Amino acid sequence: MGRVQPYISPQIHHKKRLSPRQIIIFIILALGSVLFLLPLWWMIATSLKSMQEIAQYPPTFIPQEFHLDNYIRTWAAAPFTQYTLNTLLLSFFAVTGNVIVNAFVAYGFARIRFRGKKIWFSILLATMMIPGFVTLIPQYVMFSKLHLVGTYYPLIIPQFLGSAFYIFMLRQFYLSIPRELSEAAKIDGASHFYTWLRVIIPLSKPALATIAILSFNGAWNDFLGPLLYVNDESLYTLQIGLQSFRGSVQTQWNYLMAGSVLVLLPVIVLFFIFQRYFIEGMNLTAGTKG
Amino acid sequence: MHRKYTRNILWIVPMVILLLMTACTPRSDSSEQRADGKVEIDFWTFWGSETRRPIIEKIISDFNASQDRIIVKHTYLPFGDIWTKNLAAVAAGNPADVIINDYANVNLRASKNQNTNLTPYLQKDNIEANFYPELWKNVLYNNEAYALPFNTDTRMLYYNKTAFKEAGLDPNHPPQTWAELEEYAQKLDKKSGDTYQQVGFYPLWGDFGIDSWLINGDNGQGYFDDNNQTTINTPGKVDTLKWLLSWQDRLGRQTVDAMKAEFGNGQSDAFISGKVAMYIQTGTYNTQLEEFGKDLDFGVAPIPERESGSGHWSSGGGFVVEIPRGAKHPAEAWEFMKYLTGVEAQKYWAIKNFDNVANMEAAQDPEANQNPVYKASVENLESTKLFPIPLSAPDYKNLINPHMDAVLLGKETPEQALAAAQQDIQNLMAQNTK
Amino acid sequence: MKATIGHKRPKLSKLARQEERQGYMFILPWLIGLFGITLFPMLFSLYASFTNYDVTSRMDFIGIDNYRRMFSDDPLFWTSLGNTLYYVVWMVPLTTIGSVLLALLLNEKILGMRFFRTIYYLPAVLSGVGVYFLWMQLLSPTSGLINTLLSWVGISGPAWLSDPVWTKPAIILMKMWAVGGGMLLYLASLQGVPSQLYEAAKLDGASVFRRFWHITLPMISPVIFFDVVTSFIGGFQVFQEGYVMTESGNGGPMNSLLFYNLHMWHKAFTVFDMGYAMGMAWVLFVIVLVLTLINMKLSRRWVYYEGDDQ
Repeated sequence: MGRVQPYISPQIHHKKRLSPRQIIIFIILALGSVLFLLPLWWMIATSLKSMQEIAQYPPTFIPQEFHLDNYIRTWAAAPFTQYTLNTLLLSFFAVTGNVIVNAFVAYGFARIRFRGKKIWFSILLATMMIPGFVTLIPQYVMFSKLHLVGTYYPLIIPQFLGSAFYIFMLRQFYLSIPRELSEAAKIDGASHFYTWLRVIIPLSKPALATIAILSFNGAWNDFLGPLLYVNDESLYTLQIGLQSFRGSVQTQWNYLMAGSVLVLLPVIVLFFIFQRYFIEGMNLTAGTKG
Repeated sequence: MHRKYTRNILWIVPMVILLLMTACTPRSDSSEQRADGKVEIDFWTFWGSETRRPIIEKIISDFNASQDRIIVKHTYLPFGDIWTKNLAAVAAGNPADVIINDYANVNLRASKNQNTNLTPYLQKDNIEANFYPELWKNVLYNNEAYALPFNTDTRMLYYNKTAFKEAGLDPNHPPQTWAELEEYAQKLDKKSGDTYQQVGFYPLWGDFGIDSWLINGDNGQGYFDDNNQTTINTPGKVDTLKWLLSWQDRLGRQTVDAMKAEFGNGQSDAFISGKVAMYIQTGTYNTQLEEFGKDLDFGVAPIPERESGSGHWSSGGGFVVEIPRGAKHPAEAWEFMKYLTGVEAQKYWAIKNFDNVANMEAAQDPEANQNPVYKASVENLESTKLFPIPLSAPDYKNLINPHMDAVLLGKETPEQALAAAQQDIQNLMAQNTK
Repeated sequence: MKATIGHKRPKLSKLARQEERQGYMFILPWLIGLFGITLFPMLFSLYASFTNYDVTSRMDFIGIDNYRRMFSDDPLFWTSLGNTLYYVVWMVPLTTIGSVLLALLLNEKILGMRFFRTIYYLPAVLSGVGVYFLWMQLLSPTSGLINTLLSWVGISGPAWLSDPVWTKPAIILMKMWAVGGGMLLYLASLQGVPSQLYEAAKLDGASVFRRFWHITLPMISPVIFFDVVTSFIGGFQVFQEGYVMTESGNGGPMNSLLFYNLHMWHKAFTVFDMGYAMGMAWVLFVIVLVLTLINMKLSRRWVYYEGDDQ
């Protein structure tokens, strides 16, 4: 990006002076964020309450007593440390696989002309429209015939073979990247691979970060997959552990919420790691045209 | 900057390969011979909680130690989902050797080739007489057994003796009939302003749903008779529904919904927290009472009958042990199943859980029967009904439930609802038997 | 491409052949997945939908009987389809508009923007069963957060999940909480809108609304298109909400949360009528396909591709 001339947006220019419009937006966002945060606060507050306090009317917003032991009991209810490591491993593959492979495949659909592309793309969309249940059993039988049931392979391999949803999403993204950018590279004699790696990838960081988070989430929350394909309890994942925990605490909301908070925590951490990619943002075309 | 991307990707590829190799531990195949020559069999249960797991694992290790041929490996799977996995595994031909399954649809699974006919084994060891006949009835398909009953349950009326005394009722004389139940309930209601401090009784709180009341109020008759004819739209069921509605009218639907939503487990349980003075629950509810309601002075009684002589009918459920079709070691599985449903294991299960077991001798064991609630629950089994699902309408509940909801919401009268439900079920059965 | 239609396929130039090879090279991983693991189960289920397949004991061809039963003999098929349509019709526009508006607000340069973006996106990353449990708590009639908030403004809230009229609005409300997911896509795309376009428009004296209509909307239209299409597809497959948030997954009061996929699930895994369930899946496929095709046809009028190859 050496050629890029620094582009100064006018908003940055006026940063110091707050316009009335910005103040109004600020107030709207501030009020809205309270509403958006309340459910989360509720979850955390509930997870720290005693059962008596949960049943109180009117409900309390701040726990009268902080029962951190709810968390200790939750964590001790199952080998959650092992489950967390297992789930992290699966999520790692899900993220690397999905980010790399889908970014690659989507380029083919967005930027290269070849015969049959429209048909393949239609098939791609069609595969999204079939509910997963109906393919559950045949797929299981297939992996069983390959002697892969009982391992993580049936959960990992598909992550490296592209996902229709993410391919579609990235294709839409690539299509909104101005063509001049990649044309320029092409004129320089660069191959598609080079253009993809050096031009498109750097420009689609926000989209890739989104996919990283979504695919992490998908693997993190997958319940049916590990349940079906894993036979050994030492390979169980967090969601299976949580499900069994739910079975034993039933409607003791404090424990249920403590379990939910624990499972959601890594997602939140990951979110904070990746957030700069979409939160810093960038001006795609601003510089090159200037 | 660009070089960095390439470097990152180059670094990720070997990392992924490395992790892939370490991540995927090889499949443990139970059909392989063990080094010590023993046969390993897989046993799937949904008993993974802190209370249940140690009990079942103790039984397993006792079995493993009791002989030198078979080793049982226990795998826990979450309730409900365990059977989805079982279906996939049977379809793929690699199921467990023994599984715990639901009592009500043994026949359905048998008709679909999902479990193994036990007749050949029963001809060698006839253990049918060990079990309650009401439970044995449920493991049959075409008069042949496809499972062994493991446990069961029954519902009883728990009542708060302190509240009885406060209301001037005799704590040693629980209500016997519906009329008495209503009379007592009104005396037990405590209200300040518009809100209830204590509700005497509400029939649909607790663990006795509409289905159960319809059995209780219709002389122990379920939705289907022995010949799989519908017995849904009967005068007894119409009256029962009307009676249930009268309770809702008395308290008000909003009160009922609001209070029900606030009930939880443990200390916030409706009965333990003192919000409800009479409450229907299973025998194992006693363990909750022991843990959270130590100060509660309570008694148990059979479910009141509709009128004197109509019968204190209660409803039950339970689980069975079966061999999934295609299991690698059915003979060894049978040995283990015999042990699981035998006196020793069943006694242990009963004492530890206060759960009703299927083996009659074990159920009547004096040690467990020292506990008065357990004893009452064993006696209650005599008036407890269990029904297998009719094969021509396995999902009948999905059709009946909305009509029952409609009655309670005031959208259909009991007569309309039962007539419509009966019609819907008959249509479904006609379709399925075509 | 147009030129090739009607002619004998002309020999491709060397460059075009190379281009073609590269195209297939790029989509190769997906093609392997398609032929290796996706296609067979899909085609299998299509065939099975014409049989009485029950997974374990039989698979006899019965023609279109499953489809006939669905349309004429199964009242719950229509109930579940109705519930699902209700959900989709409200959820798709509400979440789309909600997330575009939110993204626009969050694309402003104001104090604490990082903070706000983080907060609004957070609910969207929280998925899985834990969230449904949280909402069951929030929607509790007397001690839940929602009705507590409503009571502050003098509204006595409904019984939500136990009142058949309010169960689906409750689920939609829950979905609205997670609009951050769509917001993020729009935000990423908004950041790709060249700011000099706005500058030029500003110099021309275009109003905020005109700028939105003529610049922002066309520039983010590919993402809107993506969002609408996938929301439709996802909306029709709503399942967990009905499965987790109702008593033993029975579909809630008066079957008001018996969604299409939930009914299918019961048919497939409770009563093992797998052929029928697979038929239902393909009916849903056709419904969604038709809607997507309509969507695509319409999209030519409003979706603008800056970098399209056509």
